[in-house]
Amino acid sequence: MSSQTRFISGRTGRGAAFSSDASGAAHDKFMRRSAMLLAPLGLVAGWYVARLAGMSFEAARAELAHPLPALALIAFAVVAMPHARNGAESIITDYVHDPELKARALAANKWASLAVALLWTVSIVLVAAPR
Amino acid sequence: MAEAETGAAASKRPLSPHLFVYKPMLTMAMSMAHRISGAALYLGAGLLALYFLGLALGPGAFSLFGWIGSGLVGRLFLFLFVWALFNHLLGGVRHALWDRGLYMDAQGREWLTQGTLAGGVALTLLVFALAHFAG
Repeated sequence: MSSQTRFISGRTGRGAAFSSDASGAAHDKFMRRSAMLLAPLGLVAGWYVARLAGMSFEAARAELAHPLPALALIAFAVVAMPHARNGAESIITDYVHDPELKARALAANKWASLAVALLWTVSIVLVAAPR
Repeated sequence: MAEAETGAAASKRPLSPHLFVYKPMLTMAMSMAHRISGAALYLGAGLLALYFLGLALGPGAFSLFGWIGSGLVGRLFLFLFVWALFNHLLGGVRHALWDRGLYMDAQGREWLTQGTLAGGVALTLLVFALAHFAG
């Protein structure tokens, strides 16, 4: 990923956005790209989540039954959970130093993010899928 | 891990002060807020996933998880979730601008961090006002 900046990187020369091109590059790229997708998705998801506040069971189901909120929320979760996983990995590697505890925390993080994404998607599909 | 960090004598050695000596700056606070809101969003997404599960499984299951969306606690949770979301979103925009070397001067940094904080609050209030009164 590159864009024109005023910085001149010692390694890559003019034109590269000022982000890592060393061992953190893949993480860096993924987080920036998923963030770009999540900017509009997050706005739309935030709107629908705000609307759910205070709704009864039937009203919430009716709200989610339409394709736009359902697909927007699913798309948000599918992109946001890998983004969250990567973010949590940064937090874990920053603060957990014991090797065994770190390995367990990273594994738990991987499965938790997957579980949340699956649960979110399957639940909304169950609510919104046409019968 | 080094013996110096975990050995018996380690807890008796003094540490350099850090949080107590640094003057709290908005840029520093917003960076911490970016990380904290990200972690909060992760946990909040987990709770929301349970809420959606309750919606999908029927009124019985919904009585277990429905508190997430209704009542004072539920509404507060959703408000804080949406605030964390918009704060983290605008923080991401701030990082995208900084990645490109923009607004990195002293005044630009402050303007951008103030904008992130104010924008997050304003967007949250706007969205809830519209959702509540116009929906």
